[in-house]
Amino acid sequence: MNLLQNRRFIMTGLAPAVILYALFVFVPVIWSAYYGFFDWSGIGEASYIGLQNYAEIWRDPIFWRALKNNIIFVLASVFGQIPIALVLAVLLHKSSLLHRFLRSAVFLPMVLSTVVIGMIWQYIYHPQIGILNFLLNTLGLDSWRLQWLSDPVIAIYSLVPPLIWSFVGLYLIIFVSALQNIPSEIHDAAKIDGVSGLRKLVSITLPMIKNTVQVAIILCISGSLKSFDLVFIMTKGGPAHATELLATYMYNSTFTTYRYGFGSAISTTIVIISLLLIGTSQWLASRKKDAV
Amino acid sequence: MQTATTAAKPGPSGAGAGSIVRRAGQSIFWLILTIYGILTLYPFFWLVISAFKTNEDFYSRPFGLPEIWRWDNFSHAWASSRLGSAFVNSIIVSLGSLVLTLFIAALASFILARFQFKWKGWMFAFFVVGMLIPIHSTLVPLFILMKQMSLLNTYWALILPYTAFALPTAIFVLTAYLTSIPRDIEEASFIDGTGLWGLFFRIMLPMSLPALATVTILSFLHAWNDFSFALVFINKTELKTLPLAIANFADGYQTDYGLTLAAMTLSVIPTVLLYLLFQEQMMKGMTAGAVKG
Repeated sequence: MNLLQNRRFIMTGLAPAVILYALFVFVPVIWSAYYGFFDWSGIGEASYIGLQNYAEIWRDPIFWRALKNNIIFVLASVFGQIPIALVLAVLLHKSSLLHRFLRSAVFLPMVLSTVVIGMIWQYIYHPQIGILNFLLNTLGLDSWRLQWLSDPVIAIYSLVPPLIWSFVGLYLIIFVSALQNIPSEIHDAAKIDGVSGLRKLVSITLPMIKNTVQVAIILCISGSLKSFDLVFIMTKGGPAHATELLATYMYNSTFTTYRYGFGSAISTTIVIISLLLIGTSQWLASRKKDAV
Repeated sequence: MQTATTAAKPGPSGAGAGSIVRRAGQSIFWLILTIYGILTLYPFFWLVISAFKTNEDFYSRPFGLPEIWRWDNFSHAWASSRLGSAFVNSIIVSLGSLVLTLFIAALASFILARFQFKWKGWMFAFFVVGMLIPIHSTLVPLFILMKQMSLLNTYWALILPYTAFALPTAIFVLTAYLTSIPRDIEEASFIDGTGLWGLFFRIMLPMSLPALATVTILSFLHAWNDFSFALVFINKTELKTLPLAIANFADGYQTDYGLTLAAMTLSVIPTVLLYLLFQEQMMKGMTAGAVKG
């Protein structure tokens, strides 16, 4: 083996990946950090304004509402998706035909475009023709009929069920494969000791997949920061910014008013917030592991 | 092991009050499962049956089957929505980024997994850290970048970023897989006089087929279903991909529900069909891509 030839191969082989990845993933992040200090409309001169964009974000009540909505999404995902997926995984972890069918059904939304998911739920929630209000009518619960997506108070909570519904399948499959990986000796030992049912679940099965649950929680946190599409399709951040997320806030303030400098500052803020969130959750997970 | 499990006697809790409790518990489980199953599947069922309805039918019997099955909703939706060109665009963009991702990621992973060099660890970290960057935060700067490179409103405006964002996961999955292949393979092939490129194309690529399948599923679905990049980088009607075309169609034909739902149904047929064929692989692939170790 020729060492020089080896080196040249390493360079050529890595070059396309490094160039493409740096140009379209890294450079944008660095650029937005840079443009965040400018007042710029996309054409013409950009003028340096220091931290003014960030000061404006800090004072903007819409930013705080967006951040709050993002946190609602994170909490709803962690406390909605994970428990539902765990319960379903415990009930559906066998490889019988019925279990496989139900797992596939729960997973199905994962392979569909969020556009379609958002539009289906828009129809479910529609105040006049929506099947949810129609169902409530039929059940004689007329007073429960609401303007699900156009009432600013409840709109953000109406977005939670579609969010949970579309991702439960992912965590279900993750948990099912963890459950199936529990060695059968453990089940045998439990049986010999006469441990079964709920007690076995709580004191044997769940502790065995604790690490997987932790990984799922971290995934859940970073995943729920990505829910731009669903909100954009269903409410566009409205009514009156009630369902604005950080990403829609960035989109709306950049592309409706052509403030690229301001939008770049928001996008840098999003990167910082998500790194902080993911960092904290990883740190919490590792600290807990050390304590045990 | 299996025989041991079946041979073991039922525990002491198997009799009397215990069995009643267990039976009650089981029926509650089945109730939960049935309700959740219906909740999960009903929206799809509703989408498909409503796609066959007239508007009157849609208003008056939202839960019922269509009075008359309007098959021509589909042909009308196809004709008036430019779904045809949207399908073509989605196929070009998804396959383009898929081929590029597979080649570039496999080559980089081959090098990261099978060669020793000084900044290898840093290189790997550099790629993997990309999984932490929220895609949506790059919309504005990417838009500016694309504008300056005059890539907006071209297929490249989608193919290149889809590939770039697929690389971290793809490299992670492929490197892990290639590292597990025993060293003897290289030695044998060098003795045979195979060059490095031959080793890559003729030995490593065929050997990593399972990992390549995972990457294919992840990268294809991401490109096929993406909405936000297409929304920001594509304005031209002729270049719009499926999700974008569907969203626009719904805006334009808001009150013709049967037609909109028919267009939506048509748009999900390819992925649902693929899913029905390869469900086990797709579920495994997507969870592998999500967990990333």
